[in-house]
Amino acid sequence: MFSYTFHWNQALKALPQMLDGALVTLQVALLSMVIGLALALALTACRLSGNRILGGFATAWVEIARNTPALFQIYMAHFGLGNFGIHLSPYTALLAGIAFNNAGYLAENFRGALKAIPDTQTRAGRSLGMTSVQAFRYIVLPQMLRIAFLPVTNQMVWAILMTSLGVTVGMNTDLAGITQELNARSFRTFEFFAIAAVIYYLIAKAVTLGARLLAARMFRY
Amino acid sequence: MKTSVLALGLVAAAALTSQAHADKLDDVIGSGTLRCAVVLDFPPMGSRDENNNPIGFDVDYCNDLAKALGVTAEIVETPFPERIPALMSGRVDVGVASTSDTLERAKTVGMTIPYFAFEMAVTANDKSGVKSFEDMKGKVVGATAGTFEAIALEKQVKEWGAGEFRPYQTQADVFLALSQGQIDATVSTSTVAQANIKGGKFAGISVVGKAPFDTDYVALFTNREEYGFVNFLNLFINQQVRTGRYAELYEKWVGGELPDLTAKGVYR
Repeated sequence: MFSYTFHWNQALKALPQMLDGALVTLQVALLSMVIGLALALALTACRLSGNRILGGFATAWVEIARNTPALFQIYMAHFGLGNFGIHLSPYTALLAGIAFNNAGYLAENFRGALKAIPDTQTRAGRSLGMTSVQAFRYIVLPQMLRIAFLPVTNQMVWAILMTSLGVTVGMNTDLAGITQELNARSFRTFEFFAIAAVIYYLIAKAVTLGARLLAARMFRY
Repeated sequence: MKTSVLALGLVAAAALTSQAHADKLDDVIGSGTLRCAVVLDFPPMGSRDENNNPIGFDVDYCNDLAKALGVTAEIVETPFPERIPALMSGRVDVGVASTSDTLERAKTVGMTIPYFAFEMAVTANDKSGVKSFEDMKGKVVGATAGTFEAIALEKQVKEWGAGEFRPYQTQADVFLALSQGQIDATVSTSTVAQANIKGGKFAGISVVGKAPFDTDYVALFTNREEYGFVNFLNLFINQQVRTGRYAELYEKWVGGELPDLTAKGVYR
């Protein structure tokens, strides 16, 4: 029936190596998040600008990023662009793919948050003598960030998990890549993947917790 | 009370099933089907013809094995990294998948005596300037994750202390990356290198020489504890050579000088 004996002690020997990989995973996730946030703010600005071309560009980006698999986006960055002689290393391709995906989702989060803030807020600010930029900067933006905060944390967790798709483009330094290689060598699939899953879980938890603490400081009344 | 009854029932059921459970050899003969894990992006060992049917040395070898067992063969397409997981999860009975018989793997599955042997060749992108194995030093190289040659090449790159190694998921991805110039060179079995260049799908690459890695002996594998089945498989491999079928299949799919499946000085 069940014919599998666990070799935990052998698998655990690889833990330091896997933790090194976890650092790379975290690095890619954080970088992709920072780049994604910057791009998302730019996309949101494009949409708000009223300029048709900029708005169309932003909408196209969001549509593609949200409605195609992240795996394709990463594969495209490596092998797709490779067809045209543009060579992104596995690390860059992974980062580009996730940042592209992040930007799309985050821009939608920002849009949703903006919609949740009634126009009367801006009008109240204007009636107090603020300029429209001031009203946006001091009244709308803080509220938008507050509303968007939880969805942004979600996206951060998603970004961490998306890094595992790097194995398809030859990424071998992150947690998924290292786990995959350890597995290919010994085929102790269950042990290695279980350890990796625990590490992913802990990273995701730590990031969520960090975000909560940050939110508690930032959004105090 | 209830849980203990349930537990007792489960134990009884397990005891019954394990009593009725014959070994894998009996299971396969009884079921009338032999499910083989075969890698189908690894010509000439395994690939697909124009009608998408599986063909290749490993496919024929699985068919021969099924014939010897008196059952029908079922080819289960399995990418390299999934060969042993496919066995462990019960999706296949045996791996006929050019699997290197490393000791590390033998801790998990039961390996037979070698049924095939590969030599390693260096294939390079024509623009890379790589003309030999030594030229690979400092270059970006790649191979299929987890294969014998990937493990050896990665170790070599670390020893050189220069360049970069990239593992890809499939052999096709490796040659795609190579022909795109994403990597400068790869080490693969010479059979695969020749077949991929002959296939014409990948432009601008050529075989530039041999890699000084050990001969890669590959084995059939099944569950570690299935001594009866392993025993049958070993005899089958022996018979394939004795009857000349091995030579026949080698000529059909590879051609050239037949590799020796024995290591001098030891019996296996």
